[in-house]
Parts: sequence; C-alpha cells; structure tokens
Amino acid sequence: MNMHMDSNLINRRAFLAGTGLSLGSAAFNTLLAKDSSQPMYLLPKAKAKRVIFLCMAGGPSHLETFDYKPKLDELNGQPMPESFTKGQPIAQLQGKKLKVQGHLTKFKKYGKGGQYISDFLPWTAKMADDISIIRSLVTEQINHDPAHTFMNTGSVISGRPSMGSWVNYGLGSVAEDLPGFVVMTSVGGRNPQPIASRQWSAGFLPSRFQGVEFNSTGDPVQYVRNPKGVSAEHQRKLVQAITTLDRHRNQTINDPETDTRIAAYEMAFKMQTSVPELMDTSKEPQHILDMYGAKPGDGSYASNCLLARKLAEKGVRFIHLYHRGWDHHGGLKKYMGTCCGLTDKPTWALIQDLKQRGMLDDTLVVWGGEFGRTPMYQGKGEIGRDHHIKGFSMWMAGGGTKGGFGYGETDELGYHAVKDKVHVHDMHATMLNLLGINHQFFTVKHQGLDWKLTGVDHSHVVKDLIA
Amino acid sequence: MKKIFLPLLIPSLCLATLLDFNRDVRPILSDKCFSCHGPDEHGRKADLRLDIEKEAKNDDLMAIVSGSPDDSEMIYRIHSEDEDELMPPPEIGKPLTGKEKKVLEQWIKEGAVWAEHWAYVDPTTHPQPSVKDKSWSAHWIDAFTLADIEKSQMKPGPDAEPTTLIRRIHFDLTGLPPTSEVVRNFKANHSLHAYATQIENLLASPHFGERMAAYWLDLVRYADTVGYHGDQPHNISPYRDWVIHAFNQNIPFDQFTREQLAGDLLPNSNIQQKVASGYNRLLQTTHEGGLQIKEYDAIYAADRVRNVSEVWMGATVGCAQCHDHKYDPYTIKDHYQMAAFFADLGDRGFGGNKLPANRPPEIQIFTQDQEAELNLLTKEMERFLPKVKQVELGRLEAIQKKLSASIKKAKKNAKPELEIKLNQNKDQINKLATSQQITGFKSAQQKKSALEKLGRWSMIAKAGKPRTMRVLPRGNWMDESGPIILPAVPEFLGQIESNQTRLTRLDLANWLTDAEKGKGKLNARVLANRIWYLLFGKGLAPDLTDFGGQGTPPEHPELLDNLALSLIEKQWNIKAFIKDIMLSRTYRQATLPAEEYRSFQVARRLPAEFVRDNTLVISGLLVPAIGGPSVKPFQPAGYYRHLNFPKRTYEADTGEAQWRRGLYVHWQRQFLHPMMKAFDAPSREECTTQRPQSNTPLAALVLLNDPTFMEAAKAFAKKIVQQGGDSYRKRLAYAFQEALSRPPDAFEENTLAQLIDDQKSIRSESWTPLARAILNLAETNVRR
Repeated sequence: MNMHMDSNLINRRAFLAGTGLSLGSAAFNTLLAKDSSQPMYLLPKAKAKRVIFLCMAGGPSHLETFDYKPKLDELNGQPMPESFTKGQPIAQLQGKKLKVQGHLTKFKKYGKGGQYISDFLPWTAKMADDISIIRSLVTEQINHDPAHTFMNTGSVISGRPSMGSWVNYGLGSVAEDLPGFVVMTSVGGRNPQPIASRQWSAGFLPSRFQGVEFNSTGDPVQYVRNPKGVSAEHQRKLVQAITTLDRHRNQTINDPETDTRIAAYEMAFKMQTSVPELMDTSKEPQHILDMYGAKPGDGSYASNCLLARKLAEKGVRFIHLYHRGWDHHGGLKKYMGTCCGLTDKPTWALIQDLKQRGMLDDTLVVWGGEFGRTPMYQGKGEIGRDHHIKGFSMWMAGGGTKGGFGYGETDELGYHAVKDKVHVHDMHATMLNLLGINHQFFTVKHQGLDWKLTGVDHSHVVKDLIA
Repeated sequence: MKKIFLPLLIPSLCLATLLDFNRDVRPILSDKCFSCHGPDEHGRKADLRLDIEKEAKNDDLMAIVSGSPDDSEMIYRIHSEDEDELMPPPEIGKPLTGKEKKVLEQWIKEGAVWAEHWAYVDPTTHPQPSVKDKSWSAHWIDAFTLADIEKSQMKPGPDAEPTTLIRRIHFDLTGLPPTSEVVRNFKANHSLHAYATQIENLLASPHFGERMAAYWLDLVRYADTVGYHGDQPHNISPYRDWVIHAFNQNIPFDQFTREQLAGDLLPNSNIQQKVASGYNRLLQTTHEGGLQIKEYDAIYAADRVRNVSEVWMGATVGCAQCHDHKYDPYTIKDHYQMAAFFADLGDRGFGGNKLPANRPPEIQIFTQDQEAELNLLTKEMERFLPKVKQVELGRLEAIQKKLSASIKKAKKNAKPELEIKLNQNKDQINKLATSQQITGFKSAQQKKSALEKLGRWSMIAKAGKPRTMRVLPRGNWMDESGPIILPAVPEFLGQIESNQTRLTRLDLANWLTDAEKGKGKLNARVLANRIWYLLFGKGLAPDLTDFGGQGTPPEHPELLDNLALSLIEKQWNIKAFIKDIMLSRTYRQATLPAEEYRSFQVARRLPAEFVRDNTLVISGLLVPAIGGPSVKPFQPAGYYRHLNFPKRTYEADTGEAQWRRGLYVHWQRQFLHPMMKAFDAPSREECTTQRPQSNTPLAALVLLNDPTFMEAAKAFAKKIVQQGGDSYRKRLAYAFQEALSRPPDAFEENTLAQLIDDQKSIRSESWTPLARAILNLAETNVRR
C-alpha cells in the first residue's frame, strides 16, 4: 500500500547512507515503529550473518540421499499400500498403478552422530558431523514452479518477496559495492526445469531488495560492461559528467531522489569494475580451485560454490545457488550419478573452505530441493520417482546450527513426515531466528495486511537444530 | 516528494478537534484489533466483534461504553499492566502506541460515534467549500484543494513554468515528450485557452490510448506469456490493441468494462468485443506435466477473483480464499460466489510444451488493410464465379478428386466405368464456368488463403457449461465438503436483481458499473482515484489497491466523492473527466517542494516504457506505429537460458520493429526485458495499481550500457551534428532543446565540453559521449 511512500523514505535513508545499495534498512522500520527505538523483530543476538542457499532444483530424492527405509526394499515391487496414498495429492502418477520402489542405492552410517547418508554422496558423507539433516520437511505444492515459489516466498501467489529479499530488508546489506542478494545458476546436468526470476523477486518490497543474477559465463551482470568501443576512461568521464550535471541541476530543484540517483550512478560505475573482478576466479590458488573442482569461467556449480564463498567474504547477505536437473521421473540412478557428481564435492569444498576461514560459524548453509520424490515407482525411461511433498529431506550447516545431527522422521516407507514435522514455514522461521530475527514480528504492510515470510498459520522455530 | 511525511502526521492529529471515526479510529481498530475481533468468525476471540457497532457496544461485554472511557473494558485492557489482560496481546507483536491509546480514549469520551466504512458508502455531493483567496481559481476542484491548503496554514505552490507544463501534459497524456516546435509555440502563448487547446489535441492523439493502455495493462496483468513453469508465449496482443483503441475511441468505462468481462455475451457481439473478452484469459496458466486439473481450476478461480475485485472494486476479495476476510466484510462464501461468475470459462487446456501454448478458444484478427484486401479478394472471387457456383465447383472438384484416386487404385476392368464418370464430371465443370473464370477465381482464392494465414490470433472468452462450484474450506481444492454455490456478488453489498436462474459475467459487469442498480458509484471512486494518481503522482486515497478497512482513508474524501460523481455524471467519459482535472489550477502547480507551499503535484521518474520512448523520440529513432504483434528489442544474450519446455533463444527484431514503443515490448512474465525490469515494470503476474519507483545501479547500467540506449545516443549525436548548427554552443543548445525543452546554462556548457575532443568535428562519433550524457540526466527521465 504505502510502498511508494516507503520507497521514498528508504531512498532518503539510502542517500543518507551514501549509497543506493548498502544500507541498514532496520533504521527504516524504526521510523515506522515510532514508539520504540529498536525494530521489534530483532532478537538480542544473531548467530548467522548471512545465508548460502544451495537449491537443488527439480526435487532430489530423499530416498536416495538421506532417508533410509529398510521396509522400502522389503516391499520393492509390491503395490503401494493405499493407507499411505489415499486422498493425497499426486502429480504425474495420476491414474497409474502405484507400486513400491526400493532404494536405488546403499546407505551407510557416518560421523559421530551415525547419520545415514547414501552412496551417491561420498563427499557429503565426509562432513556428516558438519550438517544437520532434517528428514521431515513438508511443503504444500506438488508442481515445480509453485513449489519453488512456496519454498522461496512462503506463498504460492506470485508477487511476494523471496527470502533473500526479506533478509536484506530486515538486516540491510553490508556489502560495499555489491548487491545484498545474489543469485547464480549453474550449467551442466540433465534437461533442467525452468526457473523463473520470480524466485528472487522482491515482490512488494522495494525493488532494491531483489536478487541480482550473477553469471559466471558471459557478462557477469546485465549491462555491466561498457558498450563496444567505449574505454573505461571514457566511461569514467561520462559518469562524472552525468553526476556533476545532476548535482548542479538539483541545486535548483532540490529533489532528494536526485541524490539517490547520483549515488546509484557512482555505485554502477564501481560495479563495472568490482563485479567482473569478483567473478574472475582465475587468481584463486590452484589448490582451492582443485578442492572445489572448479575451472575459472566454466559456469559450473563448482565455480559457483567458490564464488559464493567470495561473495560471502564481501558481505553479501543472501547467496542463492541453483543447480537444476534433479527432476528424476525416470533414469533416477543414472541422473542421480550425474547430479551428485556435479554437486557433491563442491558442496563439501564450500563448507570446508568456509570452515578454514572461520566463516562457517556465522554463515548458514542450507541444502535442498523444492520437494522430494515418491516412494512409488515411476517409469519414464528407466526407474524413476514422481514429485513428493509429504515428507522429504534437507540439511543445514554452520550459522549456529548443531551439526552431526538428524531431526525428524518419515514413516516406514518414507511417505509422510510423522515425527517432528518441519513445514517450509518452520524452516523459514528457523533460518530467520538464526539470523537474529523473530519471524512473528517480522512483518511488512502491503494491501493493508501485515505480511510475513512465515505465513499466517502458527509457524515455529525448530529449536533442536540450534546449537 | 518532500511531503512524504504528511500521511504519517495525520494520525498524530491535534486532539483538540473532534475525531472522525473513519479517518482516526477505524484504522487503529482494523490494524490492531480486527484480526481477533473482526469479521472472520474462525479467528474470533471472546465472541467479541469490534467491526460492528452493535456488537462492540454490547451491554454484556461493555467493550465500548459511549461517552465513558472509564467503564469501557477496552480502555481498561489497553492500559492493563497484567500481560494476560493487556490488549492487543503482547505475543501478537502489535502494541498500541501512546497516541493510538489516546485517540481511542478520546473517541469514546466524545461519544464513540460510529460510521460505516467510507468505501462502502456511496459518494455524496459535497458543497464547494469557501476559501479565503477567491482570486486563486474558479475551478470547482481548486475550491476543495485550496480550502485544504488554507486549513493547514499554507499557501498553494506557484504555477508550473510553461515549459514544465507543456512537457507534463505531453508525458501525462501520451507518454511522449513535446516537439521543440510545440514547446516554442506554447512558450509564446500559454494562455488558458492555448493550454486547453493543447489538452484537446493530446486527448485526440492516437498516443493517448497507448499511454492509458500502459497503465490498464498493469491492472489486468496483460502479458505475452503464460507465466507458470515453461512460461510459453500465448496469443493475446490483439487484446492490447483493443485497449489502446478503446481509450482512443473514448468508449465509456461501463461499456469498456462490459466488453472485457463479457464481450462474448453481448447480443450480436462483434469481433472487437470478442477480442476484448480476452480479459478473461489474461491470468497465469500452467502447462506443466503432472498438473492436477482440479487444483488449477481452484488456482485460476482465485486468480480471477483477486483481479476483478482489485481492478474494479479496489477490494481484496482474494483474501477470503481460505477463510472470511480478516478486516473486511467479505466472507469465504462471497469469494467463491464471485469465482462462480467465471465458472463458464474453460482454461483447462494442457497443450504440453507447445509454442505458443495451446489455449483455445482463440479468434483470428486482421488489420484494417488486411481486412480491406480480404474483402477485395472475396469480391474478386465472386466476380469470376458467383457464390452459388463457387459451392458447386467445390462439390464437383471433390468428386473429381475422389474419382481420380479411385481410378489409380482400381483394378483394370473397373477403370473404364470410372473414367466415364470422371469425364461426365469434367463436362459438368466446363458447363459451370469457363476455364478463364475458374483460373481467375482460383488465383484470387489462393491469394486470400495466403493472406488469411497472416492474421493474428487472440484468446477470447466463450461461455460453456458452468463447472459446479463449491466453497473450498480453507481454500483446499481436495476438500469437497463445502456447499455448492451459484454466482453472486458479495452479500453485504446487496444483490443483483435478475429473473435468470444463473447470473452471468455480463450481470457482474453491469453491477460493477451501474450507478443505480449496482455499485457504480463506489467503483467510480476507485477509478477516479487512480486517474488522479496518474495525473498527480499520488492518489487522493494513497492506497490505490485497497479501499478496505486496512487501506488508508482518503486525505480528501469530499473531493474524491465529487470526482467519483462527476465521472458518473459524465457517463464514464474518461477524456472529459481527465480534461476537467487538467484544467484545474491544482494540476498546473509546480512540484517545487518549498516548505511554506503546498502542491499536489509530485515529480516522478517516467515509467519504464516511457523512459524508452522518450529516448527514442529524442534520438529520432521512434517508429510511432500503433498496435501489432509484440516486438523484441535487443536483449542480453542468454537471458532466457533458464526457460525450458521447450528451450528458447531470443531473437531480437530487426528494422522498424526494433524501434517501437515500450508498450509493445514482448512481455515475458518470468523474464521481463531487463531494461523494463530495472525501471520497475511489473512482471504482470498479478494486478499492479502503482509501480514502485526505485533508483538503482542496475537502472543506471541500463541507461549507460544497454545497446538500445547506445544506438539511440549515436542517432542523437548524428542529429546534433546534422541539425544543430555549426558551433559547439549551437549544437549543445539544439541538443538541450530536443531533450529537455530548455537551453543549457554556462556550467552545463562547460561540463559537457569536456566530453568532446574536437568541437568542430562533424563526425557524429565525436558527439556520442555528449548525447549519452544528456540521455542519462535525471531531468531527461523525470516528469515534473
């Protein structure tokens, strides 16, 4: 509703803070909560300062990663008991005969906590003590696009801010010459599901909070390179002339918006150098490149993990990596090999790299897809599994989480989350809590309503996950 | 923009004046109390309602005792130090401020005077207030604004300079800057008469429809792609052109409404009206494998309710999808009854991954030229062969074809008989027409069918058998326990009189705009407020979307009422309504934000489309054609790489299509052109009543480096060299006049001189940096 007004307010603040990108927007809320000096949503202490969200888009199978169910192998090939599936939503298996599909790999116990991890993830297994596996996630959407939207914005209706925007809105960005919310999508894998830019939209928050897509191939940010034939020196002179003239004119018209604009031009010019520099990994030591398995400029998930670390070092608040190709309706075994082959080691490397730099303590890393996959067989090509929303797995590491710990359970066939259910909103509440935000009070007014990332129903922080 | 703090100041009113329930009290109750003590019976606590006077003042609970704060439980509770008693409960996180507590107390003391929510009461005519400065203006609108300014002990701001004003009306009415010549003439004669003439000219310009459409398309969420999952394109651009045409033809808003919501249901509806009914198809759809049809039936139904209520009613009926509305009297039943109006529409199409998406029904549209050509060809066909004979020829030829095929397959001994028949058939054809006639006819026929392939398709509404609609408890599409319902308007707003068993979309359209039998007066307020916003940069009610309890009450309710009624009086004549406002002195005020003055005019950056258009006009590149298929300007390579099913590569248009107005840019919902996005154009997944105004480095990078803007700078440089004269000063003066409608000052001259290596150069390359600088200035891109 008052977004127009609010954005002006924010822009004023932005101008006062000297830059269009980095500012403590917490101050903005203070302005609205006129009677209190501190935004109500801030908790006394934050454990995490930033988030790296590793989105395995397409929906990795929990039954081939973290959720071991002996009974599933036992009933392999038999009809799926109707007691599990009756009245439940179903995607591509609508109208098909449902039969149980046993695990397509082996599981072993790893780490001090003895966590089950599948053979598809040997590198993740090595860091079993760094991660907290949640095996009882539930979501509300069974198709990819709405399920991503739900995972990112807590709502299925378009136009809501994504979590990266929320976090930047609540805490501001500390990155000097970079946006506070950066999104990267990697190349490689099998026929990938589409990903809409809605997933990193600021929704009804000011557009400054939207995720900015960085590309590790081609232009790192749209229009960040000078037009053909324009040298850096010419561009510098040009930007200087523009800001000088805007400033000059503004002496007559005295519009605070012009000051914000001047700051934006100065920042844009800085980004023209800082972003390509940051995105260039060729100067990283060879052993670091090897650790991730990254080749500079290859656009791989490995390169993006390395870049995520660099962005985290620069203070970027929310880094969202997408790796697509996890939608295994058929050929699950083969494609799990492909996907895990591309992501397992780099993910491990990211955690280790953060750890060795002392950054894992205040960087929350989250791994998971928009949903899981059915315990039932689907046969598009070789054996596969359909979309599944009633129980699946994700993990968190660092940022004040416990590590070496498993939370929640699904039933004996890995269908329903039955113990310590974690709804997507609960996961958001937990992430916000780690970041020092009380999700219940973290609201923004839009169309007359107080919107929360965590929805209208009662969501809870999963305290057991927090160290 | 200086006045941004004003709305915040209003609640902190001086408590000496009498409180107004709608302005001062209801917003507090709504925001802090209604979620537990409001319309939603599921969330209601202590069986107490504070949204209905009778209940709030109920003797049992004594929540509010008029005139007696000390006896009112509410006042006791809001001050209580016991956490269990304190209201609102601390765990809700919405404490009352000290000022709010005072307001509630004072209001009860004053007698707790109740009033119905302003937006649900029909506007009434308010007499013009008297003003001290009678000489300021004789326009009726000015009486209201001036009275208000005088009340706040301020003075109206100065009038805008002629240059500012002529630029303003051009941007506001066409989205394009004035030519240098128009500016020069207006500077020479800017009498009120000359000004009115300019307005009339602009209202008559075909670009007026484009300007209005740019806003309307945001409301109705017009886009060129389906939105969900594969985001495939769909056929709808003729609807966009219809909107432009409708504004240009000044179709009254009630008819405009009918044609969009129910163009297909109008008696003997013509092609244009059917195209207009494409409004019903603008929602996002999915073509994802594994979609559950009933789930998407529910998603689409809710989408339509959200849009129709936000666009026409300024209401968030969509919020009642899962439960009764928390703040407004819309029940969950109202929501589904409203959805039922649209239950006659299919949209269950699942065409896999086709491009464009498979979304029948569609209709084919031709341009006027094509239409004329088609008519000519039809006549030509008839000239060679009258209609009756055409039919006969078709019949005979079909037989001929069949016989020829049979002969090929037939056994030897059966052939002669068939050949005889074939010859007989040929004789019949020869008798029917000469070979010359047949050749002439066929040639015209071929041309016609080739031309028919060029027509554009557009999705339309087509009433089918309505689906059975139920209330979906908690919005859950799998729950079939809710009652079956029929189309109806929200109960508290009355009902539609009809002798039909089932109401239709046409009934809804009439109800929305009929001032006597429907809610036309209420909805006129919504529209009047939005048009005011387009002309001033801020609505009289600041919240353009929500006129409900959680919206912000109008700051000038009397003026808004009178404007709404004037729309009705003018029989929804949009052009006349706009002209009336623009003739007011309030509209003509400068935006200067000096403290002692008050102006209603807000300076603002041009909307994304007009940022593009303005640059293209200045550089001389704009191709000002109206309508047509959407166009594809340059776009960064690989921007669509995330799209799939199927994968897409973007091919930028060449030639004239590259330089069309922003309004025609291909609207890919999931990946809107990055230039448009950087300047806050919405994805159009949902209704947008007001775009945010950001000011980001990403937008700066667009103006600096986007090839479209670079090409424009080069073209502008060329113009400067060719038409600007023979010296640096002359050329700069020319460039400034073209871009900013004013001459440069000495400082500007000196600063820009540093960008030019050789001021004598007639190579346009030398002047490109200067052109880029001017196109990048704040002033170039701001409407003042």
